[in-house]
Amino acid sequence: MWKGFSHLLKKDVKMMLSGKFFLLALLSLILYSCYINFIYVNVDQENCRVYLYDPNNLCSAQSKYINRAHSRQELKTACSDRFSIGIDFSADPPEIYMLSSGAEKTDRYRAMWGEAVLTELTEEKPEIVGSYVKEERSRREITAEFLFFELSAVGFLGLASVLFKEKQMGVIRVHGILPVSKAAFILSKLCVFLWSDLIFTCLLTWINVGISDSLTILPAVLTQAGILSLIMSLTGFLCAVLLSDFKQFSLFYLILAVFASTPVFLAGQTGVSWKWLAWHPMHHLFTAMKSAYFGKTAASFPYYLVCIAAIAILFYGACHILAREAAKEG
Amino acid sequence: MVLVDYDCCRCRNIHSVQSKVSELVEQTAAGKAKQQTWEMGGRGMITVKNLTFSYGKGKQALHGLDFTVNDGEIFGFLGPNGSGKSTTQKILTGILTGHGGFVSLFGQEMVSSRTHDFFQKIGVLFEFPYLYANLSAIDNLKYFASFYPKQQARDVFELLDQLEFKKDFLKKPVSSYSKGMRQRVSMARALISNPRLLFLDEPTSGLDPSGAVLFRKIIQEERKKGTTVFLTTHNMVDADLLCDRVAFLSNGTIAALDTPKRLKEKNSSHQIVIHYLYHGKRRERQVDALELEKGLSFPHEEIISVHSQEPTLEDMFIQYTGRGLS
Repeated sequence: MWKGFSHLLKKDVKMMLSGKFFLLALLSLILYSCYINFIYVNVDQENCRVYLYDPNNLCSAQSKYINRAHSRQELKTACSDRFSIGIDFSADPPEIYMLSSGAEKTDRYRAMWGEAVLTELTEEKPEIVGSYVKEERSRREITAEFLFFELSAVGFLGLASVLFKEKQMGVIRVHGILPVSKAAFILSKLCVFLWSDLIFTCLLTWINVGISDSLTILPAVLTQAGILSLIMSLTGFLCAVLLSDFKQFSLFYLILAVFASTPVFLAGQTGVSWKWLAWHPMHHLFTAMKSAYFGKTAASFPYYLVCIAAIAILFYGACHILAREAAKEG
Repeated sequence: MVLVDYDCCRCRNIHSVQSKVSELVEQTAAGKAKQQTWEMGGRGMITVKNLTFSYGKGKQALHGLDFTVNDGEIFGFLGPNGSGKSTTQKILTGILTGHGGFVSLFGQEMVSSRTHDFFQKIGVLFEFPYLYANLSAIDNLKYFASFYPKQQARDVFELLDQLEFKKDFLKKPVSSYSKGMRQRVSMARALISNPRLLFLDEPTSGLDPSGAVLFRKIIQEERKKGTTVFLTTHNMVDADLLCDRVAFLSNGTIAALDTPKRLKEKNSSHQIVIHYLYHGKRRERQVDALELEKGLSFPHEEIISVHSQEPTLEDMFIQYTGRGLS
């Protein structure tokens, strides 16, 4: 069995090479890293600007974060970006003027920041969020998000594309009469993609979080990456075998991307919260991935139990439909 | 019963016609002896009893097949599209499960025989050449051979050479091959493990006439080595030339099973047609076989041709299956 398995592995690596999968992964790595290092960490780092309109000079606060507005209109214009915070001392009592960002949680933080600036309760490093410097937090956050996207969308597509090729060439049928088990056929593919995803995870984390910081979080991150990789690869496997042509597959991919991953990303990025997200399996995988990047053990025992059960069910399903595919007409 | 089995010959007189007839009588006797060996039943390589299979409610594909394929025999499985040929082959190769009735291969019942050992003993040529298009012929064959014990696998180069594969293409990817070349590599894949039982589905499809002749020669060589061949085909020439016995499958049942020769004999009109010249004019005479045995004499100047009226295997196919070849 293992002799045959090594040949299956070798063949799958060849298939991935010929499909330019590694090149695609390398390009993704470069693209994500460039974006994180040259764009993301340089934007969105600014604290919310605080504008003060105080025609009667009632406010004694002298914080460096305060910008003076000379009229109520100027205050309103400055706050129209839905990011800045306005404090109007012309009113009695003084008012906080703010246009909503769309996320209740973010608005609360903005108001808190405005008050902190006004009462000069800002610390020397206002950018410290939790136990992380803001840049560090941003790096971890966006790396987790990119990794989740890469594994869920691109990983799914990777295995499916290899299998689709094999399906079109008809060689799956040949494997039905070879002295090698169907489980080995699936396992070899999973192994190749799992290793590829784990290497990608290590590189992405090292480059964007830093080697020393990565060391502490990598075990947890790799665990989550492994779970996500296996689930998505097996889902890709099932879809590639079940769907008859690439057109159908592309449509399904689009549906998966739009309806399965987008709400999770939206919730993660914008702070929008939907109650039904608690029933969205991808949301839990995403949260677990993010938690792993922040060194938290948010994932519980039932989470791992459900993940293992999902992998086992998907694997069983893959074996079953592979046997069905082998028996199909030419 | 005597049948004349040659066409387009030019005979100068009736005596030569009768001597040819005697030769054919001898050949038929030899054929009968060979057939008797199969009928006596050698060792059963495949035994099928009351085989049934359904793809779902109201989709019964096989309605109780009974046949035996002997060790070292070339067994032809013929039938129109949708008659159940592929289903039977899939059951026999272990791809399709859930059949009814009894099926045994290599003396073991099918239910328990789908082991690695079973797959090591069979070779399957599919109707279409299923190969890795991005790999070369050599890489394909080395990959497929790697699943068999080393001592069992045949030499890739030797095999491709036997199949007269163009050497220039050995290292080129399969995607650049013609259909005939792909078929040769597929045949090599089926033979690479030196199988004891070979399943061939339309082996000469996509080949030019010389390729078809070569494939037939290779199949016969395999039989000489003791390999049992289960041949599924629409090609009646292949079936006639290669098969020791053929089974006609129609709507999931076996309509007829015998040697090609016997099947044709059974349905022969037992007549020959002689074209000859008399008074400078071309004439035709239909003669009954019984008349020939008594000795045939008729006025003529020159015999142009003697045609047996024996039906072809294709005629038999249509007769038993009720459908023409598509």
